[in-house]
Order: sequence, then C-alpha cells, then structure tokens
Amino acid sequence: MTFLHLFIVNKSGGLIHHRPLSKLAPHIGTNDWLRIGSTFHSLHAIAAEASPVKSKNTKHDGIEFIEAEGLVLCCFQSKTGIKFVITAEPGTRNMQKVPRDIYVSYTDCTLKDPFYELEMPIRCELFTQAVDDIMRKYG
Amino acid sequence: MSKSANIAAAGHALWANIPKVNTELFALTYGSLITEILRDYDQDIPEINLQLERIGHSIGVRCVDELLAKSEVNGISIPMCKDLRETAEVIAKIGFRMFLGVNCDVGKLTDKSFSLYLSENPLNIFVELPSSSEDEGTNGPDWNQLKYSNIYCGVIRGALEQVNLKVECSFVRDVLRGDEVNEIRVDVKEVLAEGAGEDYHEE
Repeated sequence: MTFLHLFIVNKSGGLIHHRPLSKLAPHIGTNDWLRIGSTFHSLHAIAAEASPVKSKNTKHDGIEFIEAEGLVLCCFQSKTGIKFVITAEPGTRNMQKVPRDIYVSYTDCTLKDPFYELEMPIRCELFTQAVDDIMRKYG
Repeated sequence: MSKSANIAAAGHALWANIPKVNTELFALTYGSLITEILRDYDQDIPEINLQLERIGHSIGVRCVDELLAKSEVNGISIPMCKDLRETAEVIAKIGFRMFLGVNCDVGKLTDKSFSLYLSENPLNIFVELPSSSEDEGTNGPDWNQLKYSNIYCGVIRGALEQVNLKVECSFVRDVLRGDEVNEIRVDVKEVLAEGAGEDYHEE
C-alpha cells in the first residue's frame, strides 16, 4: 500500500510544493496542482467553520483525514498555518507520522536554506532528498 | 505545577536531541557579526540595534516552526496557549532551553505583557562594552545604548508573529551595562486574525 502524492500549502492558500511519492502516483498537471492546493485550503477553512464541534486546539479544526474508496488523504496543519497533505492508497499505514516527519524535514532543510523565502515555492535539493529518505523509511 | 514541570522536561528533552555547536565558536561568530555591523553602519548605535532586531526577526520566523515540528515528533504536545502565561512559559522553558541550553524565567506577567529573565547569555560570554567616557566626548558612540543581544528581541517578535501574535520586544536590563540580570520585556500589541477562516464566518 503506497503513498501517492505530497503537497504543501502555505498560510495564504498558495501551493508551495507538490511531488509524487511513488511510481503509482497519477500524473497531475501544474495548473491542476495549483487548483487542488487552493481548493483544499478553502475547504479546510470551511470545514473548520462548519464543524458543529470546535476543538480546544483551534489549529486542529479543519480537515484531517479523508477516506474514499480509491484514496486516503491525510492533512497536517502546523500552528503556523502550513498544511502538509499526503495522499495514499487505502490501507496504507503510518499515514499520521509521515506529514509530521516531513514538517521536521521542512524546518531542517527548507527553512535553514538562506536563499529560501518564506511562503515561496520550495526548490531545495536537500528537502527533496529528505522526503525521499522518509519515503524509503515508510514506503 | 506539574504542567510547568512538563514544559521544563520538554525543553530538556529537545535540547538533548538537537545538534550542538561549540559555545565559543557561537559567541565569537556573533561578536564578529556585531563588529561587521558596527563598521557597516558607521557606529550609529540606534540603527545597529534596529538591524540586529531585523536579523533576529528573520531567524525567529523560522525557529518557531523548528520548535513546533521537533516537539511534535518527539511526542511533546504543545497545545494552543490559553493565556499569555503559557506562551511565555513555552518561549522561556522550551524555546530558550532548546536552542541555547540556558535557563530562562518568566516574570512581571500582566494580561498583555511579560518579562523574560536570562541569567546566562551565551552570546556575551567574552564581551565587555567600552566605556564612553574615554572617547572623544560627544563624538564617540554611546556604547551604553548598544543592545548587544538585541537579536533575541527580533527572534521572539518573529516567532510570535508566525503564530498570530503581534508583539514588541525590548531589552530593559542588560548585564553588559551593569545590571544583575538580562531582562527582555514583551508587550502584546494585537492578536492577528486567523487565515482563510475569516472569509467564511457567518454574517
């Protein structure tokens, strides 16, 4: 049971990173990716507002997990507003751990890159390698 | 009481796991940064304090994610702070402990501000500010005005900005100027609105 895609959405809803996580991942064009990113951001916010139960941790409101017939989607939102979203085939294990490990790699590789500007698309070789390592660990 | 013990333990646990660098190298690198800035800005002390704060701000906006990410994977849960005291505790016990390995205390807490006390500061272990009286009278820079560790104020401001708290930080007491302890005063100016949720609130 493999992982399919990773995408990262910044605070303002713009897509800052997307990549396939395995060979099984279907190909999605760049424009579609941008649309997916902003749509997910809006849905996440709407879900948080529409929820009848507000959790004490307001950053845990919003979409955490979507389970569909052909796909599961897991979203982790940091307290700073960045969303790490993973999609995978149903039955994949460790879905919750992967976005958190990717968050740590984001802080260690992307944020410490002196040429990386916050909220901008991520183009760090170290980050790509770190995500590859995470996939090797869990995949 | 056990909650503060948990926070302190969390800080120690994160400090244990974080990669470390030689203290002297750290202090001397910062010292050479200060001398470079002094040269660049022609010893204009207020401008230099501002630049240090700006540098700290760029660091702070990134540090906060590292603190949150590493506590998340180490099983330390830092819930949303219910009041300013919790925010102050996290900065002092987890933030300062994790990144610098120093003990930091919280004090003078009101509902819109707090103070952070640093008894040891790794940045100024080799530092002595020159006394202004020896200089050419009014022409020399007033070294007492130099906030050597002003970078901390920027770090705190940047970090809290990322979690929607707009604050102003300043050094009110500094051991380099003769006080017994370093004190940073943090004032909350406003709590910024959450992201996209604002657009979808019910009218």
